Amino acid sequence: MVASVVHGVTIAGVTACLPERRETVADLAARFGAEAAERIAKATGIEARHLVPPHQCTSDLAEAAARALLDGLGWDAAGIDLLVNVSQTHDHILPSSGFLLHRRLGLGKQAAVLDLGLGCSGYVYGLWTAAAMLRACNGRRALLIAGDTTSRVLDPNDRSVAPLFGDAAAATALVADPDAPLMAFTLGSDGAGAPYLAVPGGGLRRPDEPPHLFMDGTQVFAFTLREVPGSIRAALDLAGWTMAGVDRLVLHQANAQMVRHLARKLGAAPGQTVLALAGHGNTSSASIPLALASALPEELAAERRRLLLSGFGVGWSWGSAAVEIGPLAVCGTTLLSADGRPAIPAGAARDAGLSANSAGDAENSA
Amino acid sequence: MDTKDFLLALDEMLELDPGTLTGTEELESLDNWDSLAVISFIALVDEKLGLVVEGEKLAKAKTVADLLALAGVAVPA
Repeated sequence: MVASVVHGVTIAGVTACLPERRETVADLAARFGAEAAERIAKATGIEARHLVPPHQCTSDLAEAAARALLDGLGWDAAGIDLLVNVSQTHDHILPSSGFLLHRRLGLGKQAAVLDLGLGCSGYVYGLWTAAAMLRACNGRRALLIAGDTTSRVLDPNDRSVAPLFGDAAAATALVADPDAPLMAFTLGSDGAGAPYLAVPGGGLRRPDEPPHLFMDGTQVFAFTLREVPGSIRAALDLAGWTMAGVDRLVLHQANAQMVRHLARKLGAAPGQTVLALAGHGNTSSASIPLALASALPEELAAERRRLLLSGFGVGWSWGSAAVEIGPLAVCGTTLLSADGRPAIPAGAARDAGLSANSAGDAENSA
Repeated sequence: MDTKDFLLALDEMLELDPGTLTGTEELESLDNWDSLAVISFIALVDEKLGLVVEGEKLAKAKTVADLLALAGVAVPA
């Protein structure tokens, strides 16, 4: 296991973007029957998911999230030293979407761009990479983007995956700050898990097979219980924290049962544990920042909080981070309409509470 | 956790009346034994017994008695 401490970097803001269209339990009932749809919702805690229309890509959500973040912070895109883009759903085989975002956001030629092909562990890996590389290049500002449009790579009639995954992208601003508290990371991998969570088709090995997500939920759950608690405890030790000293445990939002079970196993109280998936589903690498931006915007805007983040999934790959962040200048969510306009204007990221609350209402009414 | 308690926990998990399962049942014959139940079973064993069941072995289980054996609980004679 990699254990890595990064000094001198902090998070300045987090924004997330969801596509406007929602699919609810009622929509699933039409495809899978009412009883199955209700049972899935009850077992997973997922009531609705936001899905892109066929012409939208992850980079569109990412661009909207990043614009809201940069506008909110008043950052000039040309002054960003590093862009780390975490995604498995690129617009093209090449170039990877980081370069499309470099252009569309107006980053400068001095910036380094790096794409990481990771899913549910991707936010922690991306945060580690962005923070460590920002220090390594002695830079000032980095932009971390994480997200997927998993709905584009699954069969909507496959009930083992379609009811679980939603689309989202998130943007995180990192800034060099000599007084920043340390960030402690633990990271691990096990390629033996590759067959159990995969989109085997659509790449160069099986070009004639449609790109459809396969997931063996039993293997995923067993892997998570095997590896994640140890990863989280190691991150706590590395930071010199205990679970009781953590303000918020933000696990990858795969399903409510998994989050609750892991939290109990780790001795985290329900009040410490963030559950923000009822209206979003599993949003891959965006799930952790989306949870921050949708469930904790007021809190993170108001004060400094100790967060324990942990992501785990495709690979197998897993990573945990102990970070102390806030008050954040920008924290909130935005929606992207089907015609590509932010349904909530980008500048409203400052009014994070408004957009986050409206998303929350949607969850409750589902 | 003894066999009786474990069977009662399985009854609850599968939304059956307490005392329904005896151990001899074929998993295929249980309406609610599906991929969601499998995950609940892994969580149950981890929570009650501190043991992570191997996915490959679970996939081969055919009866409730096989589940008991995987969890290391005595199988009724």
